[in-house]
Amino acid sequence: MILSRRVVISAMNAVCFKRSFATASSPLVPVQLPSRKEAHLWYVVPDEVKSSALLHNYLDILSPSEKENVFHKRGEQLQKAALLARVLVRTTIARYQINGQVDPRSLKFKKNIHGKPELEWNDDQCQCAPSLQFNISHTSSLILCGVTVDSLIGVDLEEKQRKLKNNILAFARRYFTPHEVKFLSSISDPVVQQQYFVKLWTLKESYVKALGKGFSGLPFRMFTIQFRTAEKGNSCPSGETNNKGEIIVKSLEDVNSFSSNWQFALLELAGSHYAAICMEKDEAVEGEVPTPMKLTVRKTIPYVRDELISGPDAFVISGLT
Amino acid sequence: MASAAAAATGAPARASFALKQAQVPVSKISNVRSVSLPIGGRSFPSLKARRFQVSCAAKKETVDKVCQIVRKQLALPDDASVTGESKFANLGADSLDTVEIVMGLEEEFGISVEEESAQSITTVQEAADMIEKLIEK
Repeated sequence: MILSRRVVISAMNAVCFKRSFATASSPLVPVQLPSRKEAHLWYVVPDEVKSSALLHNYLDILSPSEKENVFHKRGEQLQKAALLARVLVRTTIARYQINGQVDPRSLKFKKNIHGKPELEWNDDQCQCAPSLQFNISHTSSLILCGVTVDSLIGVDLEEKQRKLKNNILAFARRYFTPHEVKFLSSISDPVVQQQYFVKLWTLKESYVKALGKGFSGLPFRMFTIQFRTAEKGNSCPSGETNNKGEIIVKSLEDVNSFSSNWQFALLELAGSHYAAICMEKDEAVEGEVPTPMKLTVRKTIPYVRDELISGPDAFVISGLT
Repeated sequence: MASAAAAATGAPARASFALKQAQVPVSKISNVRSVSLPIGGRSFPSLKARRFQVSCAAKKETVDKVCQIVRKQLALPDDASVTGESKFANLGADSLDTVEIVMGLEEEFGISVEEESAQSITTVQEAADMIEKLIEK
């Protein structure tokens, strides 16, 4: 996979923003659309957004119902994360300037039958707009938005150290597949087992989110996630970072098939989180040697600072071979 | 709700049924079945009332138990208010928390909740209602 070296993008005077924020020094920096096989990942670290004036201005970007959702959250930390999640989605999409300059406030969203949010364009915008796909996930300490052109995408974030209240194997026996239970049971080190549980959970979530179905639309026991190392054909816990291996998904309904039109990547983000990315493969390369998913990761505080990110703040653990 | 009043005064959980009935607004009670026992061709209103009280008491205990499980899962501070109307997501539950809550409810009440139903459980009351429905089966 290709990640650019770390570069700080300072304020650019390319685009004038109609309404300037009191505390922000730069407008939203526009970016090129991702290519067909590429996903752009944008993340915000809530703890780095300290200015209450900036947060107040962020609130202005949201729709009335989004604002209401934010205020219904219990406590400042939850409200801040909810606010930043909507701000990240709106400002990120607006950067791609599909039909010229877009005010983030003007974006409209709808939900599919399972509740997955999608962009809603006006009729006059629809004709020339390439289909921008996005998905968001957040914890209290990190907000992530993934964007592609035309490919369905699902992203899921979880803190690396997330502990279950229940016993891991009991939980897996209830909700995961027998294959995954066997895989987790084979890991003797409880720390590694807990890490692999979180990895499996985020990967499974990213898949059902990419499909737009969610946990209830596609129960987790209906499909298996497998880690495969490059050399062997079997799945086994691989701790080596120089052997990324492959992540595949198999449907339990049709045991002999595996879903070859989905590709996965598992990253470690900001040193604290696992991020699972699931993306529809480009149909154009069906039958040819599969080309790896390209990821571009950026950390942002909208209207303040954007950074292109490479290791150690963002590196791939598995997938993308 | 009766549960909030009881908690505020420190009253024991087993208050008299008549007191509870007076405090709880009828509109908040769901799943109430009135049973009329025809004796000599006539139904007895007092028997209907007793059935009403039983449903009311069961629902409160269920809601309280759900609240307890939610509090534990989300590690909420003691002063955080959790009622029937409380939405899991607003209390800070993410999808993994919600599934863990459902698993906790399955174990506590001896029921099985289909994954397909999990997304319809977004509040404490919805969880309690689903539990009652599954227990009745």
